[in-house]
Amino acid sequence: MGLNHETAPVEVRERFAVPAEKLGEKAREIISLSALHEGVVLSTCNRMEIYAAVEDKESGIELLSNHLSMGHDDGVMAHLYQKTGDDVRRHLFRLVSGLDSMVLGETEIFGQVKQAYKQALESGATSGVLNRLFQKSFTVGKKVRTNTNIQKGQTSVGSVAVDMAEKIFGKLKGSHIMVIGAGEMSRQVAQSMMSRGASHLTVTNRSLERAELLATELGGSSVPFDQWEDALVQADVIVSSTGASEPVLLASAIEAVRGRRKYRPLFLIDIAVPRDIEKAAGDIEEVYLYDIDKLQKLASEARVSRAEQVKVCELMIDEEI
Amino acid sequence: MDHWILLLAVLLAAFAAAQGAAYLRQGTRSSLTLFLIAGSLIAQTVVMWLRSELRGSCPLGDLGEIFIFSAWSLTIFYMAVGSMFRLSLLGVFTAPLVCFLLALAALPGMLDSAPERIAVIDPWREGHAALSVMAYGALGLAAVAGVMFIVLNRKLKDAETNDGLFKYLPPARGLIVVIHRLLFWGFILLTSGVLCGLMMETSVGAAKHLIAAAIQWVAYLTLILMEWKKGIPPVKLSFAAVVLFVLSFLIFPFLN
Repeated sequence: MGLNHETAPVEVRERFAVPAEKLGEKAREIISLSALHEGVVLSTCNRMEIYAAVEDKESGIELLSNHLSMGHDDGVMAHLYQKTGDDVRRHLFRLVSGLDSMVLGETEIFGQVKQAYKQALESGATSGVLNRLFQKSFTVGKKVRTNTNIQKGQTSVGSVAVDMAEKIFGKLKGSHIMVIGAGEMSRQVAQSMMSRGASHLTVTNRSLERAELLATELGGSSVPFDQWEDALVQADVIVSSTGASEPVLLASAIEAVRGRRKYRPLFLIDIAVPRDIEKAAGDIEEVYLYDIDKLQKLASEARVSRAEQVKVCELMIDEEI
Repeated sequence: MDHWILLLAVLLAAFAAAQGAAYLRQGTRSSLTLFLIAGSLIAQTVVMWLRSELRGSCPLGDLGEIFIFSAWSLTIFYMAVGSMFRLSLLGVFTAPLVCFLLALAALPGMLDSAPERIAVIDPWREGHAALSVMAYGALGLAAVAGVMFIVLNRKLKDAETNDGLFKYLPPARGLIVVIHRLLFWGFILLTSGVLCGLMMETSVGAAKHLIAAAIQWVAYLTLILMEWKKGIPPVKLSFAAVVLFVLSFLIFPFLN
């Protein structure tokens, strides 16, 4: 029994959310109800689900519904779904395979289910039925992810940009990231690059205060907006998203420092509209320029490719049931 | 006997190239490519051993042997560099070149069927031949890495990221590093070979070979110095590695 991003809005989901460290405790609370022998509680930002093993289906559902409805009105309860028997198996197999996620094929859910099961197991809330079910689901999840392309490609602009950076530079350790404009999107991309090992970050913005704020948050340094061209020599990746109406990074500025850079590859990510980086910059041999359209196209291709894999995954899951 | 084993080496390299490319077209890789190349390397080694037994010296007495030694050296460098830098697809790109060199060696007339046994071994001559051919292995692999970079560069520029080739090609920066290092070590070997050549007894008609070798040496030196002093755009460096390696083969008609 549970609810997810498709059946309930966030204001309902948050009422049922269970803190990550209390999943085992909640599972024990569930099996303290008579007629519920085993239980696992899963709670993520997109769903809350309770898996239970019962002797009698009808009474089990009633008990669980009553327990969940405590403190909630009937309207809220309408967002809950319930599944029994093979439908539960199919649902869990689809879930760990990423087929039920908001971002198709995402991998985080696999770890979240594993964590929920581990806590339930350690708190003594599971036994034969749910142990078999969850262990089988992990095997199926791995099989589906390994043998299909459901995880292939990146589906968000930020992840595509980070993947491309790794294709150019390999491990980002030692790479120098430069952010022009302190907007949310560039913050996300820069943060992803730093989390993947980039070691230097320079932020520049028309408002130096905002640049300093972002630089401090991400562990980098800031430079005044009229001096950032000097930092071009060190940069490996430039993420630009200012609100400027004219390009702020011209091909001539890069041409001027090519020799000083010793023709090292330079990855330019332009996520601004209107574009921040002159198109001609992409014609320079060692420069790879990706604007928002190019990145979105790659992300959307990955989404389409994943959607095409759903049937293949479903067939594999059917074979396992 | 050596001809049959040489044919086996050609077939294994050809199969490695075809099989690697076929898997890549399906968007996957196969570890079989490495085993096939390793099999070809064993066969090449056996051929060289048989030829050295016949000659009583290093098997570099005719064009066929030089091509086999070059292929062997290229394969050895591939094995070393591939495992050291974990460059995926290097085997798929190297196998066609190894196959080509071995196929050249297998052409009628390339291998002397009854090679003359060397009575007196000149260590400088042996050193010159062996080091020069080893240099071809390193410089050949630099050219292979150059081709890989050119392919990857095109795909990155055009945002063509959906095929197996893009997925498995190593990162651009890694390829550039490998090209630099192979050019450097290839040049060191080449220089050592040239120095040995200066010490060996020369025969009549060696002047053309000497001039061709000098041009080749100066060309590589210029490339390395330019890269070291000012840097060269990676695409230009890759093209230069490929073109210089191809032009290096012009030295063979001047062998005496």
